Amino acid sequence: MTDPRETKRTQRDGKPGFTSDLAARIKRAQGEDSPAQAAADRMRQREMTGLGRGFRLGSEFVAAVVVGAALGWGIDRLFGTTPWGMIILLLLGFAAGVLNVVRAAAEMNAEAAKLPMAPSVPDDEDEDK
Amino acid sequence: MATGNPIEPIHQFEIVDILPLGNIGGANIAFTNSGLFMVLTVAAIGAFLIFSSAQRAIVPGRWQLLAEMSHEFVANIIRSTAGSEGMKFFPLIFSLFMFVLFANLWGMIPYFFTVTSHIVITMALALLVFGTVIIYGFWRNGFKFLKLFVPTGVPMYILPLVTLIEVISFLSRPLSLSLRLFGNIMAGHIVLKVFGGMVVALLAAGGWAALAIGPFVMAVAITGLEFLVAALQAYVFAVLASMYLNDAIHPGH
Repeated sequence: MTDPRETKRTQRDGKPGFTSDLAARIKRAQGEDSPAQAAADRMRQREMTGLGRGFRLGSEFVAAVVVGAALGWGIDRLFGTTPWGMIILLLLGFAAGVLNVVRAAAEMNAEAAKLPMAPSVPDDEDEDK
Repeated sequence: MATGNPIEPIHQFEIVDILPLGNIGGANIAFTNSGLFMVLTVAAIGAFLIFSSAQRAIVPGRWQLLAEMSHEFVANIIRSTAGSEGMKFFPLIFSLFMFVLFANLWGMIPYFFTVTSHIVITMALALLVFGTVIIYGFWRNGFKFLKLFVPTGVPMYILPLVTLIEVISFLSRPLSLSLRLFGNIMAGHIVLKVFGGMVVALLAAGGWAALAIGPFVMAVAITGLEFLVAALQAYVFAVLASMYLNDAIHPGH
């Protein structure tokens, strides 16, 4: 978009043209957030609403439990190990669900910390760290 | 939309055959209302992008600015979650984002069917992402992709257990991705319908009609919330899809 010919022309004329303070203007514009970036930030902030957070964590947990149970059921059907496969994999599914929730929560906290105006995430009182 | 009790909140999710196409292996194949709204969604996206970018002005007009902003919005999501290398998945993420967004927004029009309120649709979208992650992960990293399941710094004796938990956690991703979108949209539409049904029932109850203002106000407020949820869920879907693709590009953390 920067037309080099125009710059030359303005220099020859000795008059400040359209492109004379272009570098300064680009610098100024880059300092501000682009509208898309600002929209992304706003959306990220909204993801931190209670409803969004709850749905996120709930689905992460439930999905892992369901997958664990389904895997155990499938293994039992294939190898005839009823009910051990389902019992063990259901428990592992719970563990994976907790892992998912911990990861999602850590991610959310990291996102919330990045935003300057973000509301602080309520913390457990009995947590030491 | 003619059968059943129209006040019943689940009624809106009914699949209706519009154009029967015959039977294949005992399964009924038809062009349904769901299919119709998928076509409408794609047509609306196509029309929006083609007409708004037809001018190709250097200084964009309103529509072109809107199209450029949606491009930048998705591009920013991908760059911030998957890095610049993730931009090769831009067509996939952008398509998913626009499809979910437009399908949700079509659903906000009264009497219209919401495509994303059926878990079959959201699951198909999530499995598309999941399949892409697995295929691209193995194609790009070979067997190093499996390092994704083996966290570093875990003692040997507990590693098999942790790996199994990681595998279950990985397999749960498409389910949680589809469950969230489907759950949000379906729950929201049911709540809307329940409050709408309350208004109708109270108005029909003679002396109680004055109370109908309560659920009516709620229905208006929840409509606003649902517009937010419609956009938000499209955004969340795109963010998580690009986060999962990031694992395919850089496994091992």
